[in-house]
Amino acid sequence: MSDPGMEPLTRPYYDALGRGELLIQHCGSCGRDTMYPRHRCPFCYEAELGWVRASGAGVLHSFAVTRFGAPTGFESQTPYALGVVKLAEGVQVLGRLWPDGDGGWGAYRCDAPVRFRPASEDEIARRPVPWFAVVHQ
Amino acid sequence: MSDADEAAFIGVGELPSGRHPNRPFMGSLVDVAVAAVRDAGRSMSDIDTILLIPCLHSPADQADLVFSRVVEELGLNGRAKASYMIHSGGSTSDNTMRTAAGLIASGHARNILVLQAEKWGSAPVDEMIDMLTANGIPREWEKPSGLSFNAVGALITRRYMAASGSTAAEMASVCVALRAWARLNPNAMYKDKPLTVDQVLASKMVCDPLHALECPMLADGAVGFVLTSAALARRSHDRWVRIAGSGGRVSHYSIGQERDLAVLGWPEAAAEAYEQAGWGADDADLAEVYDSYPAVLSIALEGLGLAKPGEAARTFAAGGYSPGGRLPVNTNGGLLSAGHTGVGGGTALLAEAVRQLLGRAGPDRQIPGASRAVCGGSGGTYMDSQVLLLEGVTR
Repeated sequence: MSDPGMEPLTRPYYDALGRGELLIQHCGSCGRDTMYPRHRCPFCYEAELGWVRASGAGVLHSFAVTRFGAPTGFESQTPYALGVVKLAEGVQVLGRLWPDGDGGWGAYRCDAPVRFRPASEDEIARRPVPWFAVVHQ
Repeated sequence: MSDADEAAFIGVGELPSGRHPNRPFMGSLVDVAVAAVRDAGRSMSDIDTILLIPCLHSPADQADLVFSRVVEELGLNGRAKASYMIHSGGSTSDNTMRTAAGLIASGHARNILVLQAEKWGSAPVDEMIDMLTANGIPREWEKPSGLSFNAVGALITRRYMAASGSTAAEMASVCVALRAWARLNPNAMYKDKPLTVDQVLASKMVCDPLHALECPMLADGAVGFVLTSAALARRSHDRWVRIAGSGGRVSHYSIGQERDLAVLGWPEAAAEAYEQAGWGADDADLAEVYDSYPAVLSIALEGLGLAKPGEAARTFAAGGYSPGGRLPVNTNGGLLSAGHTGVGGGTALLAEAVRQLLGRAGPDRQIPGASRAVCGGSGGTYMDSQVLLLEGVTR
C-alpha cells in the first residue's frame, strides 16, 4: 500500500484507523489542519506536521454504490458504497459508507449529516480507509 | 506576439473509433500522421516538431520513447528538430495545443504534427479497469476504498443531480443526444446504433446513479493535427483555425479533495478564456466538450456559460443540444457515442472542432457558417478544466 519512505505519513493514520480513531494532519507551525496527509504543510510549507483526532462529525458531499465493475480485490465486496465527506474540521476525505437499516444506502442523501463509525481491525488491515454512517435525524 | 506569429490549425486526420484489434498502435500513428499532413496540404518533410499525446492501453507503449520511434517510422530522422510527449490525461490535447502555439509564436517550430493513437477498445476490459484504478487515484488514501472511474463518475453525477434537480431521464437524454450526433459521423463507434432514453434507463445499474449505457465504451482511435504559423498558413491556405483564447484550472488530484463536485474548475477556466478571446458564450456556434459521463458534460456546459446553472441536462432533454437544436454540442458523438479513446477522447473532440471550423465536417453534420467553437477538456478524476476557444479565419 505504501511506497518506500511513505510510512511516516501512512503508518500513524492506518494504525489509528485500526484502533477505531480518525486522525487529521495538523501543522505545528501555522496551526492549520490538512488532508490528505502531506510531506509539508500546503499552507506555510513548514514540515512540523503532527496529528489531531477528528471529531468524527461530517456532511456527505456525494456518494456512489458500486454494483458491477469493481476493481480487482473488490469483486466480493459488491455492492459497496463510497462517499466524499466534509468533516467538521474543514477538511474532507473519501471513505466507505455503512449500509443503513435496510441493508442498502437508501437513507443516505447529499448534504446529510454522517459520523465516523470504525470498521474492524481486520478490515482496516486489508483496506485502510475511514467508514461513515448516516446520522438519523 | 503579432498575429502573424500565432498558431494556425491547417489540417486534421482521424481513423474510425471502435474495436480494431488488427490495427497496430504504431501503424495507426503513421496512418493518421499521413492523413493529417495530406489534409494540411503539406509534405511530411515540412514537419519539424512532433508532439505525441500518450496512450493508456499499455505502459510499455507509453514509456518506450515512442515519440521518437514515430520520427523514424515517418522517415524524419535527421530532419526533425524535436519529438516529445505531453500528458495531462483527458485534457492533454488542450495543453498540447497551448504548447504548440507557444513553440510557433516563439519561433521554436514552424510546422508541428500532433499525434495520438489508443488501443483501449482491443485491450482486456478488466486490465483497463485495474489500470485506471492504479493511476490518477491516490494509492495511499483512496485506492483501498475500492474507488473506480465509474464510481468517480457516479460521485459527480449524484452531486450534479442533487444540485440541479435533474431526473434520471434527463441525465439519460444526454446520451441520446450524443448518439444522434454519432449517427451522422462515419468515424463514430456507435454510428449504426440508435439509442432511446428508455434503453438507457433499462440498462443495468453499474454504480448508482450511473446506468451501464451512461458509462463510456473504451475504444481504439487515432487523431492527428498539423499546426503552423498564421503567416505561413496565409501563403498556402484560404482558411485556417486560430486559438482565440484559453483558460484553465486544476481543481484537485484526489476526487475526495474536490470542494464542489457539481462545479469543478470550469467557471474560472471559462472566464479566463473568454476574457482573452474578447467574446463570450453567446457568440459560440458550437461546443466540443469532454463528456465521459452525462454529468461531466452538463457541469462543464454550465461552467462554460453555455447552459443556465442547473439547466444543462434539462436542455439536453428538450433537444437543445441535438442536431437541429439551439447549440450543436459534441457533433462527433462525443466520448459517450464516438468512443472513449483514453486521452484521445478529448483529442477527437478538438479535431471535430477544427474540422467544423475549416468547413470539412461532411454534408451530414457540418454546421453552416461555423466560425467560433468552445472546446473543453478534463483529465484524471476531472482534476482540471481546460478551455480552448477556437475561431475560423479566412484569408
